[in-house]
Amino acid sequence: MTFANAIHRLHPKKIRVSTVLIYLLLIAIAAYTLFPLAFLFVNSFKGQAAIVSSPLKLPDIWDVAYLENSMKAIHFMSSLGVTAGITLISVFVQVVASSLVAWMMVRNKSKWSFALFMAFTAAMLIPFQSVMYPLISMFDAMKLKNIPGLIIMYGGFGLSISVFLYHGFMKSVPRSIEEAALIDGASVFQIYLYVVMPLLKSTTVTVIILNGMWIWNDYLLPFLVIGNEPVKTLTLELYYAKLTSGQYGNPWEMIFPAVLISIIPIILVFLLLQKYIMKGVTASAVKE
Amino acid sequence: MEKFYKKWFLPLALPAILLFVGVILIPFLVGVLYSFTGWRGAYFVGGGKNPFEAFVGISNYVKALHSEKFMNALVYTLKYTLIATVWINAVGLCLALLVNKISRGAGLFRTVFFMPNLLGGLALGFIWSFIFEIVYSKFVFGVDGLIHIPFLTNMTQDNTKALFALVILVSWQMGGYMMMIFVNGLNGISQDLYEAARIDGANAFQVFRNITVPMLMPAFTITFFLTLANSFKLLDQNIALTDGNFGTRMLATQILRTTRDTNPPDYGMAQAEAVIFFVMIALVTLLQVYLTKRKEIEA
Repeated sequence: MTFANAIHRLHPKKIRVSTVLIYLLLIAIAAYTLFPLAFLFVNSFKGQAAIVSSPLKLPDIWDVAYLENSMKAIHFMSSLGVTAGITLISVFVQVVASSLVAWMMVRNKSKWSFALFMAFTAAMLIPFQSVMYPLISMFDAMKLKNIPGLIIMYGGFGLSISVFLYHGFMKSVPRSIEEAALIDGASVFQIYLYVVMPLLKSTTVTVIILNGMWIWNDYLLPFLVIGNEPVKTLTLELYYAKLTSGQYGNPWEMIFPAVLISIIPIILVFLLLQKYIMKGVTASAVKE
Repeated sequence: MEKFYKKWFLPLALPAILLFVGVILIPFLVGVLYSFTGWRGAYFVGGGKNPFEAFVGISNYVKALHSEKFMNALVYTLKYTLIATVWINAVGLCLALLVNKISRGAGLFRTVFFMPNLLGGLALGFIWSFIFEIVYSKFVFGVDGLIHIPFLTNMTQDNTKALFALVILVSWQMGGYMMMIFVNGLNGISQDLYEAARIDGANAFQVFRNITVPMLMPAFTITFFLTLANSFKLLDQNIALTDGNFGTRMLATQILRTTRDTNPPDYGMAQAEAVIFFVMIALVTLLQVYLTKRKEIEA
């Protein structure tokens, strides 16, 4: 940007034309990016016939009946609660387990600690598909093919990347503060809670966002674990709604509002926390 | 202090170790073992409940490699991965270069481009399947549309077209994410380099080729890693757009559907497919990181 500014001072006219062009291009791409979302919004207030015959037109009447129907069809309040619950607890488990193990691995320079770190890192290469069938069958045998089991699975799958992030950042945290706290008589949990974790706040935010986004939107794991049980996550409700409605020739008047209400919570959270989310997601990628 | 940390190592590392062993390590090893048995989900052919009496050698792997569906999915995934990786990186880089050229409103544009990345592949896939089926096919690229481009009509009902439909969908979704990583990389390039190049009389293309690209190599390592992994493992969008019909199954979908294709469900073969899938992902990822890392050092 400073480069552009520098040239700007040298050739003010030339830059102005190209700047206008860049803005026009960016606006066009932004319109393209937003189009499917605007499209979704507009068509969530129309009946099947109007959606198919004139999907690009605004609705004649903004009828919320379709939204209400869809909310009922995907059991919105219950599935929202279930999804939020699963996401929150899983992320909490991931944060606690991965920060503790990363802390201990950084502070202990033994062979074991190195081997453990290598194991966590290598596990990032394992795709979910190559463990899913044995995992589900094991958990089924332990009577854990249910929501608590699902949370344990998320706890395990988000671990590698979270440990990796905490491990990378923990190295820059001086141990002298912990020593001082110990001499002052703090217990190990006090040191963890009041000394270590506050210094790792930004990493924690990244871990929460990264895992939270993934768990919230995940389709495969809930599909395998919960399937078509009465209590489902939002994504799963959406999948089954599409599946059953597809049998009667795709009633989009049900699908569009259902998709809309299922993404509204995420968009709200994003608009509230966009600074942290965009920073967190990029930071995590750069660490890899 | 050493003693203190040593004492607490095991107790504090234990939750993570247990989760890791129980959710990843054991299922992974069991999965490799089962891929050599006649596993049918609830029982083992020839062994009842005991996998150790039901070894079938490498016959599951032979079956998988001779299965038309699996080989189709493999080729389809490779084709998709190649096209999508190149295209998504190109889109992300272009967006980053454009956004970095302006000062006012740059944050707003970044937010807009990044937003689709937050939403689930299944939900987005449903919206796009309608866009492809109705909006593209009838209103924009259809016979009576704005411009008639047959290739962009009925994209979800043809093997080749569906591949590009997936690329359109995923690049729309991931482009902004890659952009963020490139923006991060671009901001890290010292202005002195550009200044020096300008004094030496380099043109815009030379500057891009000899300064921007080499200095962005660390960013490329990350974006290639992310797009490769994402393309290989793509599932939700594949299911939402075509549900794997018309021979459009990707590997992840194929592994999931193998147990549904066969009766009784052939979990042994599905698991062999999953092991092949793991080996491919591990090899490609390691190779890619090795290659792009080497470029980084040269740069």
